Amino acid sequence: MFSPKSASMPKQSVSGKPSRKLRTVLLAAALVVAGSATAATTHLIETGSSLLYPLFNLWVPAWTANHPEVRIDTASTGSGTGIAQSIEGIAQFGASDAYLSDVQMKRNPGMLNIPVAISSQMINYNVPGLNDKHIKLDGPVIAGMYDGSIRYWDDARVKALNPGLALPHKTVVAVHRADGSGDTFMFTQFLSFSTPAWNQKVAYGTTVSWPSVPGAIGATGNPGMVTALANTPYSIAYVGVSFKNETDKAKLGEAMLKNRAGKFVLINARTVPAAAAAMVPKTPRDQRISMVYAPGEESYPIINYEYVIVKSVQPNAEAAKQMRDFLTWAVSPDGGNAPKFLDQVHFLPLPASARALTLAQIKEIH
Amino acid sequence: MDPLLPVATPPSNPDGGDFFGKSRSHSGGMRRSTDVFGILVATSAGIVPLVILALLAFLLYNAWPALHFNGWGFLTGNSWNLGNQYGDLVKVRGVEVLPGARFSILFLIFGTLASSVIALVLAIPIGVGAAVFLADAVPPRLRNSASLLVELLAAVPSVVFGLWGYVVLIPFTARHVYPLLGHVLAFIPFFGPPTYNGYGLLTSGIVLALMVVPLITANMREAIAATPAALREAGLSTGATRFEVVRKIVLPRLRLPLIGVSTLALGRALGETMAVLMVSGNAINGLPHNVYSPISTMAAFMVSQLDSALQDPSGMAVSSITEIGLILLVLSMAVNGIARLLVSRTQPR
Amino acid sequence: MNASATSALERRPSLRYRRRYLTNLLGWTFYGVFFAVLAFALLDIIAVVLKHGIPAISLELFTKPTNGVSGGLLNAIIGTFLLTFGSLLLAAPVGILGGIYVAEYTASPFARAARYLSDVLVGVPSIVFGLFGYLAMVTWLGWHFSLLAGCITLALMIIPYILRTTELAFRGVVSELREAAYALGASHAKVTLKVILRACRGRVLTGVLLAMAISMGETAPLIYTVNWSNYVWGGHLTHEPVGYLTYVVWSFINEPFDSAHALAYAAALLVTVFVLVITTSTRLLLSRLDTHKPH
Repeated sequence: MFSPKSASMPKQSVSGKPSRKLRTVLLAAALVVAGSATAATTHLIETGSSLLYPLFNLWVPAWTANHPEVRIDTASTGSGTGIAQSIEGIAQFGASDAYLSDVQMKRNPGMLNIPVAISSQMINYNVPGLNDKHIKLDGPVIAGMYDGSIRYWDDARVKALNPGLALPHKTVVAVHRADGSGDTFMFTQFLSFSTPAWNQKVAYGTTVSWPSVPGAIGATGNPGMVTALANTPYSIAYVGVSFKNETDKAKLGEAMLKNRAGKFVLINARTVPAAAAAMVPKTPRDQRISMVYAPGEESYPIINYEYVIVKSVQPNAEAAKQMRDFLTWAVSPDGGNAPKFLDQVHFLPLPASARALTLAQIKEIH
Repeated sequence: MDPLLPVATPPSNPDGGDFFGKSRSHSGGMRRSTDVFGILVATSAGIVPLVILALLAFLLYNAWPALHFNGWGFLTGNSWNLGNQYGDLVKVRGVEVLPGARFSILFLIFGTLASSVIALVLAIPIGVGAAVFLADAVPPRLRNSASLLVELLAAVPSVVFGLWGYVVLIPFTARHVYPLLGHVLAFIPFFGPPTYNGYGLLTSGIVLALMVVPLITANMREAIAATPAALREAGLSTGATRFEVVRKIVLPRLRLPLIGVSTLALGRALGETMAVLMVSGNAINGLPHNVYSPISTMAAFMVSQLDSALQDPSGMAVSSITEIGLILLVLSMAVNGIARLLVSRTQPR
Repeated sequence: MNASATSALERRPSLRYRRRYLTNLLGWTFYGVFFAVLAFALLDIIAVVLKHGIPAISLELFTKPTNGVSGGLLNAIIGTFLLTFGSLLLAAPVGILGGIYVAEYTASPFARAARYLSDVLVGVPSIVFGLFGYLAMVTWLGWHFSLLAGCITLALMIIPYILRTTELAFRGVVSELREAAYALGASHAKVTLKVILRACRGRVLTGVLLAMAISMGETAPLIYTVNWSNYVWGGHLTHEPVGYLTYVVWSFINEPFDSAHALAYAAALLVTVFVLVITTSTRLLLSRLDTHKPH
């Protein structure tokens, strides 16, 4: 078995771990005080994706109300932290908008990527006068705005997609996430899959090397994106659908996106399930798959599985049982996948076929 | 943000002995080797150098792979690129990294220095002016309360400054101040439009200025108060007004302490994290085009990027973040070390 | 310096008079405006925090832990106090004893080095301590996110503050007192702790209080060492994340729910009030000490 540290720490520090003796000594003092207060409850920690965080915050109180023997801490730290800490065993649930890479899987066998819901992403903009018009955009044009080759809203390539729309001659302000984020992962996958030039120059990831464009800004978190959009006329940004209430409140525009079939679509109750339906049959047993830029006439191009990254082997059987119970409830249509939870964050429940794969993975936690 | 550090005011050596207290009569009695208490206090004092060593050693150790992989190019390029996170690891210069990984932080070094310099340019005149006002224009009865107003500014936590910047300063400057400034100052390089949206270099500089100015005001106020009365009286007796005495007699004497305390303020501005994170715009991979442009600083970048760095299975990204931390540590220690030397050398005699 | 002033003033007094008067007036106005800007900034920060924070204050805030992004702040309030007092518990003895050494052995090169290095350590950015705490304690020692990792990280940050204030306090005690005590045959420890420390305990206390205010207001060193928890601390020093107020300010303002924003402002209000009250009382204590014992 590989050292779990290798995923997140430089190799040198792995070999440099303190001796067992030293660690024991250093911990001794801690335990003197801590020992007296050991509780009988199982303590689980969830950390990671800021997109999943609101959903976990709806799930956990609902679950623990009926299960006082378990407590679950939730924290919004970003998908990177979620993955790393799940691998290291610091957190039991690592929430992530992105699945583990092949390298991460090879280095950390026994990690499970468990989808718990389906999310989607909006491309929002703030172009005064056009915010109720749903400007039409496609991958290459958005990529152009983010790499600086399209500088103005009335660029010929934008006009070509929006005949008859009075686009202003104003500089495009492209807003990207400054923190590592699953949203960036989905967005850059969309650009990479639809635009070969972007794929070659920038590619995709939770953080990418953004081309330096004058005036482009980074915002922290989805609320930072919404605020930046609201404060900045002629800006464009990608925002997780959980924040749709916020973008509506700020009266931001939502772009219609060109999907793989060449149709322009908005997020709605047809387009997101259509994309999921196209991708779910292709989902492998370990459920590591991108659902971005799905085929199909009606498919919305930016959707993804929201993952909980879990170590299949848990140090203690009771914790493993509690984790299985919680996750099984979370993906059940009468439990955590019920509309009363998902609608609040605009997520979609797992389709039945994906749920079967998810349940099979949950059973592997022991 | 840290409350005012009392040590920032030069120790006035209250018992009147020489600065290093060599003549203290009791010190002989304390050197007995059997003195358990003496050993205890010495060990406690020894913690301080130990902490510095531990910081340096730990960061150096963890940054070592990055130092090796990034080389000097780390300081001169503008590319923070984790590489293809879904690709297979490749060996570059004997180290396994993600394909395409390249780390360099000139834009962070520039952002850090530029925002700190703007902070000082604003904070020094305002800080000195406020100090003169407090020392010479405020009636003695109100002086303490008025000074408290300025000094409490230093106690406001960094996140609260950030919150204020985010809620008040950014909307206000972006809508009303920067467009005007860009128009009026267009003839000065880097001050012309576009004025962007409030997140950026100038806003970071303003927030940093507010955070470090109490340090300058408190020190200068004490230094002004410590000016010998005879000098002032001599000035007044020539017919000079109180203002002229301050401008031409008191302040010129305080040039060196001002340099010292300003360097101290610089050290503080360089490492400020949360407030800058919330107002800087967190730009990446490019230098700002003008003072309104979004930037990022080393300290803020460490908080915002550690999370995604953790996703790099080769560990090179975390190591490179640690390298930023190491540079910041060395830089702040150097600036602060120099500042402390200046402050102690230039105490008003 | 005053020579140039004098000659400049005497050359053409009648012509100069108006200009001097104007310059003086303008100068004082500028200085006054500078002061007003700073005072306004502070008052505006307080006003914003009060304006948004007060409507969010309720009894529930102090009696219930955070429930997702709503509920109360009991966990964070307790966490902030645990972190603050935990770090003080570690830092105060070390800082005070170290300060005593530096004050009493002024001639020793080691004491001078310790003093100088304390000043240098004060300038190390808090995020660097945070990174150190993460690398050293959270992952290397395997403590995971924990109270202990946070307390030690904060303690390392505040030790030099306490050390230097203690040193200054000790140096403020008149030598006669010390010599008199030694003349009575008291031991070194007794003289230091019973006589000198008692004589200057007020000033030592101000250092500890300032350090407390710093601990309380910090965020950057805690994000990656303590993380966050929705629950009231369960008694574990390691392997258990803890909630604290500044995290709520930084993180909850980034959530899409009004309840989260309310908590963020309430937390900002609590932290600001705590810190400003501590700092103000420190100042009052100091000015009382100054009036009672002028040196």
